[in-house]
Amino acid sequence: MLAALSPTGEIPALPLHTAGKYVAGAYVVLFVIVLIYVAIMAIRLSRIERDLGELLSMTEQTPAPSAHGRAGDHDQQRESAPA
Amino acid sequence: MYGKGLRTLSISTAVAMAVSLGMVFFYAPLEAEQGFLQKIFYVHVPLAIIALCGFVLGGLLAIQHLRTRDPRWDMRSYVVIHMSLIFAVGTLITGSIWAKGSWGHWWVWSEPTLVSFLIIFLLYATYQPLRFAIEDPERQSRYASVFAITAGAFVPTNFIAVRLSTAYLHPRVLGSTSNLPGAMALTFLVSLAALALLFATLCKYELTAKHTRAQLRALRRRLAGETAGATPRPRSAVPSLQHVTTLPARASGGPAL
Repeated sequence: MLAALSPTGEIPALPLHTAGKYVAGAYVVLFVIVLIYVAIMAIRLSRIERDLGELLSMTEQTPAPSAHGRAGDHDQQRESAPA
Repeated sequence: MYGKGLRTLSISTAVAMAVSLGMVFFYAPLEAEQGFLQKIFYVHVPLAIIALCGFVLGGLLAIQHLRTRDPRWDMRSYVVIHMSLIFAVGTLITGSIWAKGSWGHWWVWSEPTLVSFLIIFLLYATYQPLRFAIEDPERQSRYASVFAITAGAFVPTNFIAVRLSTAYLHPRVLGSTSNLPGAMALTFLVSLAALALLFATLCKYELTAKHTRAQLRALRRRLAGETAGATPRPRSAVPSLQHVTTLPARASGGPAL
């Protein structure tokens, strides 16, 4: 196959204007792969952020037992305290 | 845990990639036979080397998983193989572009180097479906590790077999026939280091993201008052870190979280 390309059996070097598009294509592929990965990571990050927000709202809605405990203690102290 | 050193690694990767690209286009001389087209070599060959090394590394991590039964090794093996697969896609695409420019064809089926790499790629393409097909996380991780070890051993065997083959068109880069001049060899090594850093950074990002998700799930379970393993996890190809994701124990009388 190589011999068919040139009479000397060597591959002739492509001129810059022809080879340029192939080289650009190869490097663009690498860039696109990294870009797609960054986009996927961004989507994941936003999902994690959303989940964290949900968890935060869960903690705000759920009355913390310790907070109850402390409030209860505080009430007891208030009740037992002399007027 | 996995996020430690991520910032330094990311900056190093960005710098290495910039230096590598600068060297490829402004420092390395034009090759006599192929001219400007040979610049593809600096991205295609490192991608192929890293992808193949990644597959072998995935097998070694799987051995560690089978030895220790620690799911974190399975997760590392999974992430490394996953990333190697992405690099292998890059190798196939950049190789095809080079082949079109150099040989006039996108793909040459009679070329053992190309076909053997495609076989390895297709072999590893079955890794994720294999994991997804097994529902039980314990069995899934065990079978996936066995697969990773077997396939990881196949990679160097395949590489040597292709090397022994004589009928090839694909240029030999590493070996007795390689005669890269100093500037080209240096540029190639810098490109290899830059892409290896990119591989390590992306793996670390992936591990950090997966670990954070597992921690969030554990936190959600705790807030819902469930114990680990109480609710079956949905079927997934991703290794389960349910049993190793530990949150600080809730102190009695302390806050709910």
